[in-house]
Amino acid sequence: MIKIENVVKKYPGMERPAVENLSMEIGEGEICVFVGPSGCGKTTTLKMINRIIEPTSGAIYVNDVNVLKQNPDKLRQNIGYVIQQIGLFPHMTVHENISIVPKLLDWKEDRIKKRVDELLEIVGLDPEENRSKYPKALSGGQRQRVGVARALAVNPPIMLMDEPFGAVDPVTRSQLQNEFLRLQKKIKKTICFVTHDIDEAIKMGDKIAIMEQGNLIQYDSPENLLFNPNNEFVEDFVGSDRSLKVLNLLRIDTVLKKDVKTVATNNDISALHQFFENNRKKRAIIVDETNKVVGYVARNDVPKGSSSKGWNSIIKPIPATLPLQATLRDALAQMLQYDLGAVPVVEEDNSLLGVVDLDEIRSHIGEAYHEFGQDEAG
Amino acid sequence: MDRMKRGDDMGIIDFFLNIAEYFIKHIDKISTYTIEHFILIIIAIILSLLIWLTVGIAIRNNLGLAKGVLGIGSFIMSVPSIALYGILVSVPGFGLNRRSAVFGLILYAMLPIVRNVYVSLNQVDENIMEAAKGMGLSPRQVLFKVQLPLAVPVILAGIRVALVMMVGIATLAVYIGERNLGSLIQQGIVRTHDDMIIVGAILVSVMAFLVDYIMGKIQKAIVSPGLITDDSTSKKEVA
Repeated sequence: MIKIENVVKKYPGMERPAVENLSMEIGEGEICVFVGPSGCGKTTTLKMINRIIEPTSGAIYVNDVNVLKQNPDKLRQNIGYVIQQIGLFPHMTVHENISIVPKLLDWKEDRIKKRVDELLEIVGLDPEENRSKYPKALSGGQRQRVGVARALAVNPPIMLMDEPFGAVDPVTRSQLQNEFLRLQKKIKKTICFVTHDIDEAIKMGDKIAIMEQGNLIQYDSPENLLFNPNNEFVEDFVGSDRSLKVLNLLRIDTVLKKDVKTVATNNDISALHQFFENNRKKRAIIVDETNKVVGYVARNDVPKGSSSKGWNSIIKPIPATLPLQATLRDALAQMLQYDLGAVPVVEEDNSLLGVVDLDEIRSHIGEAYHEFGQDEAG
Repeated sequence: MDRMKRGDDMGIIDFFLNIAEYFIKHIDKISTYTIEHFILIIIAIILSLLIWLTVGIAIRNNLGLAKGVLGIGSFIMSVPSIALYGILVSVPGFGLNRRSAVFGLILYAMLPIVRNVYVSLNQVDENIMEAAKGMGLSPRQVLFKVQLPLAVPVILAGIRVALVMMVGIATLAVYIGERNLGSLIQQGIVRTHDDMIIVGAILVSVMAFLVDYIMGKIQKAIVSPGLITDDSTSKKEVA
């Protein structure tokens, strides 16, 4: 899909090239994450693909066409581009921001409107509510979503993302990462993704390219990177806490407990009593008729009497839920932050898929570490 | 001057009565002067916009040229208006006529307009510029769809300054043959007619104020609501 061949970028007056004789291939539908310390050439490499930066020598092929021989504006219209600061146009509404490239391509007004609404749905923003807002009225996470929607506007096969989630708080970041992984399952774009955060790289990447001083040090799957680092630099960069990093690699679907006992809001209180009699759990998950998570009830809050009808008033909101795309690291982070022994896993519409609990994670990590690391001594 | 020094209680009322009397008596002449004043400014600002917006846009990517052009603008600004008109009159092809008056005003509008166009186009956030380029907008589309709309508030502020300044400087054009509100002031001084001077001064001030007010309205009408910061905070509080 994307082939980089002997690409060199030299800046005048600089001792060593920013990118030195880089060759690599990125497969269709893959997320390739470029990671490395600042100044390693990862962003330069990304920006050479859509010619924001022109290579000094070498060739870059997208679908077997050399990008250096194309009209740069036409090329860029067909490559989604998301940068850390997003660069939404403050004088345009959300709708206008997203419809820029479709307008350049002379789409009809009603087709544009349909596409904008569709994209807003895809990135999890209510079209009705957000379409005519200006960027200043959006939160950081919402702006990032609009940025992604704008990049997807004309459904380009390739996306370039330069630290796309770098400017939001950690909670929003992990939320955006999960959403993006879910989205990628549907849209299957070829994605080049730059980050300096190795945890993000391991979580997002199908392949990871570690760069240092303009050179590609290792280009490999996250598993291989963690357990078969090419050299000391990679080892250091990945860090000594590899067993913790593995958590980024494991999705919670592997430890998901599906048969979860719940109490429905339309049950009467005896169901709740029964639940706590049969289980030693401290909390019961409460769902509505359609299996959507409503909240939880703590054992101590349950009224003793059997006649109290309005028991629904003791339901408390659950502090944290996880989407299926979350990693074990996300799960553990939530558990530690909110002091939970188990976290419900929900669909987009909040319907319950199951729970992950601490014991299950603990036993699974042991297995996984064993499996990946078996060719390592110790 | 005598009239102003007379008895305290009657003096002020007399003073205003005199001005009102002068105003009513000479309403025809005064309205002609006002209209002339206005026409001069309209011609000058239209030509200024055509010339200086173009120049500002043309020099936007050339720091060296911009420094030169803005240097000339600053120099012109530092030349006293009377002196500038004196020089213009002596230039062949100009002389004692409206052409010189208009040209002088255009020269004074150079710095505020060109400077604000240049600065505001170059002040656009580089991330916004990169996003625009990365989406495949050509340099021309970047200019018209992104840079200029974002620069509008600052450019309008420059035009506003230029206009208010023009209203004042136009009064001096009476020395090279214009007939406008400046005539009231000039003749008032020559004939020591306080009421005449004051009527002229008040009308010039009113005109400057009106021009400023109209520019404020225009600004509100054409600047994107997305760029107005005060609104955002109040809206957020409501929401």
